[in-house]
Amino acid sequence: MRMPKLTAFLTATAVFTSVLTLAATAAEVHVLNWKGYGADEPWAIAAFEKVTGNKVVNDFFNSEQEMLTKLRTNPGLYDVVMINAAFNDQAMAEKLIQPIDVSKIPNYADISPDKAGSPMLVRDGKVHGVPWVWGLTALAINEKAFETPPTSIAEMWNEAHKGRVTIRDDAVEAVQFGAIATGQNINDVRDMEAVKAKLTSLMPQIKTFWSSENDWNQMVASNQIDIGTYWSGSADRAKTHFKLPVSLVIPGEGAVAWLDAFSIPVGAKNVAGAEAFINYMIDPKFYVEWVTKVGAPVSANAKAVAALPEDAFNRKVMGDPDVAKRIQFQAPISDAQREAYLALWQELKVNVK
Amino acid sequence: MAGQVATGSRSGLRSALPLLLPAYLWLTVAIFLPLSAMVFFSFMTELPLSGKAWSFTLDNYATFFSQGLYWTLLLASLRLGLEVTLWCVVIGYPAAYVLAKVLRGRSREAIFLLVILPFWSNGLVRIFSWAMVLREGGILDTALNAVLPFKINIDLMYSYPAVIIGLVHSYVPYMVLTCYLTLQAIDDSLIEAGRSLGASRLQMLKRVIIPLSMPGLVAGAALIFVPVVGSFMEPRILGGRTGTFYGTVIEDQFVAVFNWPLGAALSFILLAVVLVILALASPVLRRAA
Amino acid sequence: MATTRFLEWCGRLYIWLLLAFLYLPIIIMALMSFNVSPFYQLPFEWTTEWYASLWQNDQLISATWNSIKIAIISTIIATVLGSAASLALYRHEFRGKKVLQALLFPPIAIPWLITGTAMLIFFFGVGIGRGLFAILLGHVALALPYVIVVVSARLQTFAPELEEAARSLGANQWQVTSRVTLPWIMPGVIAGGLFAFAVSFDQFVVSYFLSTPGQTTLPVEIYAAIRKGFTPEINAVSTIIIVVSMALMLLTARFFKFGGEK
Repeated sequence: MRMPKLTAFLTATAVFTSVLTLAATAAEVHVLNWKGYGADEPWAIAAFEKVTGNKVVNDFFNSEQEMLTKLRTNPGLYDVVMINAAFNDQAMAEKLIQPIDVSKIPNYADISPDKAGSPMLVRDGKVHGVPWVWGLTALAINEKAFETPPTSIAEMWNEAHKGRVTIRDDAVEAVQFGAIATGQNINDVRDMEAVKAKLTSLMPQIKTFWSSENDWNQMVASNQIDIGTYWSGSADRAKTHFKLPVSLVIPGEGAVAWLDAFSIPVGAKNVAGAEAFINYMIDPKFYVEWVTKVGAPVSANAKAVAALPEDAFNRKVMGDPDVAKRIQFQAPISDAQREAYLALWQELKVNVK
Repeated sequence: MAGQVATGSRSGLRSALPLLLPAYLWLTVAIFLPLSAMVFFSFMTELPLSGKAWSFTLDNYATFFSQGLYWTLLLASLRLGLEVTLWCVVIGYPAAYVLAKVLRGRSREAIFLLVILPFWSNGLVRIFSWAMVLREGGILDTALNAVLPFKINIDLMYSYPAVIIGLVHSYVPYMVLTCYLTLQAIDDSLIEAGRSLGASRLQMLKRVIIPLSMPGLVAGAALIFVPVVGSFMEPRILGGRTGTFYGTVIEDQFVAVFNWPLGAALSFILLAVVLVILALASPVLRRAA
Repeated sequence: MATTRFLEWCGRLYIWLLLAFLYLPIIIMALMSFNVSPFYQLPFEWTTEWYASLWQNDQLISATWNSIKIAIISTIIATVLGSAASLALYRHEFRGKKVLQALLFPPIAIPWLITGTAMLIFFFGVGIGRGLFAILLGHVALALPYVIVVVSARLQTFAPELEEAARSLGANQWQVTSRVTLPWIMPGVIAGGLFAFAVSFDQFVVSYFLSTPGQTTLPVEIYAAIRKGFTPEINAVSTIIIVVSMALMLLTARFFKFGGEK
C-alpha cells in the first residue's frame, strides 16, 4: 500500500509547487473588496493596468468581520482594502491600516469636504481612509405591486403586504431600521424596547430574510415580494442594468446611509501602486463608466457626480438637499453593542418560528 | 462507528500503525490541531488576535445554559437531524435493496454511480433550483394545478418542509450507497434458503436482511444526522422566516460579530451532544441487529 | 412467481422515481443555463449566450480547473489513506480504538465554518499559509472521515475466515490484501471515493479561507458571485461538468465491474 500513497503525494506536491511559483511578481496591486464592487470590473482593471503598468490582483470578502480577519492573518499580502467607514476605527485601532499621504492622490482634492473630513476616517490630522462611494439602505418596491410609490416606512407594516415583505438578515441593519421606524437616532438608540416591539410586529409580514443582491433580484423577478429594505446602488442596478421592476423609495422618516472608503494596510508592499489605484477609483472617468455600464452607488468625488447626466438617479435623487437632510450616516459600533443587537435579532427570529 | 471485534490478527496497535498512521497524521495536522486551537479560544474572553487583553473564562459555555434561546435552537436542530435521517432511511433503504438485489449487471453499476452524480454540482446552485420548484407559481405548483381538477396553491418555499426537502435531497445518496454496500454482501442463497423453509418476505426482512445490513444503516444514519444538526446554509436559504437553527446562530457569531470564543463554545457543545447521542444509539442499534 | 415479478417491477419503477427526485434540480440548473434571464425568470427564452460568455470568463474557467485538479488529487489521497486506515481499524484490536473511531466525527459535526476558520488561523501560525496546497491539505482531511466510515461499513460484512484461508494457503499479507480483501471492499472504496470527490468539489468554506487572490476554486467563485454578479454562466459550467462526468461514469460502468460480485 505504500507506493501508491507516496506517488500520489509526490504528484500532488509537484503539481502544486509548479502552480505556486506563478505567484508574487513585482508591480502588482493586491486589492481586497466585495466581489462585483467596481474594483474588479475587467474593463477598469484593463484601463488601470494600461496607464500605470501595475497588475491588479483581486481578493474578496463576504462580511466585514471576514475582511478584518483576512487583514489580521495576511500581513503584507494586500496593498488596498475597501473598508466601510464605520469599521475604519477598529481597523486603525488594531494597527491594520496605515496613514495615507493624500498629496500622492490628485483626485483627493475633489472629494466633498464633509466626506473627506469625516471623523471616522481622519484621526489626529492623519487620513486613514479615502472616501470612495456612499449609499443608502432604504426601501425598494416591486413596481407591479404599487400604483403610486409609498412615501412612508409604515408601508412595511401594511396588512396588504403580509407575507410579501423582506428585510436583510443583518442585526445592525435591522436595529437601525427599527430606530428609524420609531423616530430615533440610529447611532444612539435610547429606547431599545420600542425598536424590539416595532420589529416584533414586522416579523409576521416577512416572507424571508435576504442576504445578497441576487436574493432580492430573484425574488422580485418571480414576483414573490412587494417591498423590502434594499441598498440604493443595488436598486439602481436592478432597474437600469437588469431591467427589473424595482424602484427605490427614500421614506419620509429617513434612511440609513453608509460610506465606503479605501485604506492601505500596514505592511503593504506596493504603496505607490495602491495610491495610484485609489486615485483611479475616485476618478470621474472611471465613475461615469461604472454607473453607465454596471450601476453604482454615489461617488464621494463631487466632480465625478457632476459628470453624470442631470437626470441620473445618483445626481438627481441622491444629490437632492432634501434627501440629505433625512438620511443618517452610520457611525462606528462597539463590539458590545453589536453583540447586543445580534442577541435581540436572534431572539426575534427564534420567536417567529 | 461500530467497533466490532475483528477476529483476524489481533496483534494490536503496533501492527495497525503503518496503515493507520498516514490517515490520522493527516487528520491531526489539518483538523485536530486547528480545532484544538479553537477549543483553547472557546475558554477565552477575547481573541488574542484582536490585540485586546484576554483571560480564561467559562462564560462562553455558561452562556449556552443561561439562555433559553440556544437550548431551544439545539432541540430544533436535533429534531431536524432526526427527521431528515428518518426520511433518508425510508426513501433510501428500499432503493438500496432494489439496487443490490433486483438490478443486475451493467445497469446496477451505472445507477450506483448516477446516484451520487448530482452532488458533483454546486450546493448553492441546487438550492436555487429548488426555489424554482417549490415557490408559488413554480414548477410543482404549475404541474399539480395542470393535473388536478381543482385549484390548489402550493407555496412550499421559505418553510420548514422546504428545508426538509432540500436536506433529504442532499443526503439521501449517503443512505442509498452505505446500505447498498451491506445489502449487496448478503448471500442470495441465504435468502433463498430462508424462503424455502417457509419464512415470509416480511419475516426474512425483519430477521435476516435488516440485521445483516445494519452496519450500512448505522453508517448512513451517522453520516446524515451529524452534519444536518450543524447545517446552516440550506435552512437559511430555503427556510426563510423559519430557517433559524443552531447552525445559523453559530455562523452569526463568526460572521456578524467577531465573537469566535462563543461561536466555538457553541460548536463544541454541539459536538458533545452529537457524540453522546451516537454513543447511546449505537448499542441500541447493535442489539436490534 | 408472479408476485416476485411484480415486486421487481415496482422496485425498478421506484429507482427511476428516486433518480427523478435526485436529478430534478440538476435538470432545472441545466435548463436555466439556456434561459435569457439571470434571475430564473419565466417564460423561458432560449439562448446560448451564457455558454459564449463562459468561454470568455478566464477566471471562472481557471477556478473550475483548480477545483477539478484538487478534487481528483484529494479523492485519490483520501481514498487510499482512508481505506488503509479502515483496514487497520478492522483487522487489529488495540486500546483507544474507540477513541480513534470517535475522532472521525469532529470534522463532520463541527460546522465547516469553524473548521475553516481554525485551519486558517493554525496554518497561518505554523507557516503553511494559504494557497492550493493548504486547500488540498484541508480537503483530504475533510474527506477522510467519509471514506473511513463508508469503507468500514463494507468491511463489517467481510468474513475474516477468507483472509485466514488465504493465509493458510501460503499467501503473504500483501497477497491476502490485494487478492482477497481489496476485491471484496472495492464497492466501498468506490463509494468512499465518490463521496470524497463530492466533498472536495462542493467545498466552499475551507477553500474560501485558504485560497489566495487569483487562485481560487469554483465554489469560491460562485459564492462570491451571488453577492452581486451571479449569472447563469455558473449553471453553464456546472452543466458541462455534470454532462462530462455522466458520460465518463457511464463509460466506466460499461467497461468495469465494481459493484461487487454477482
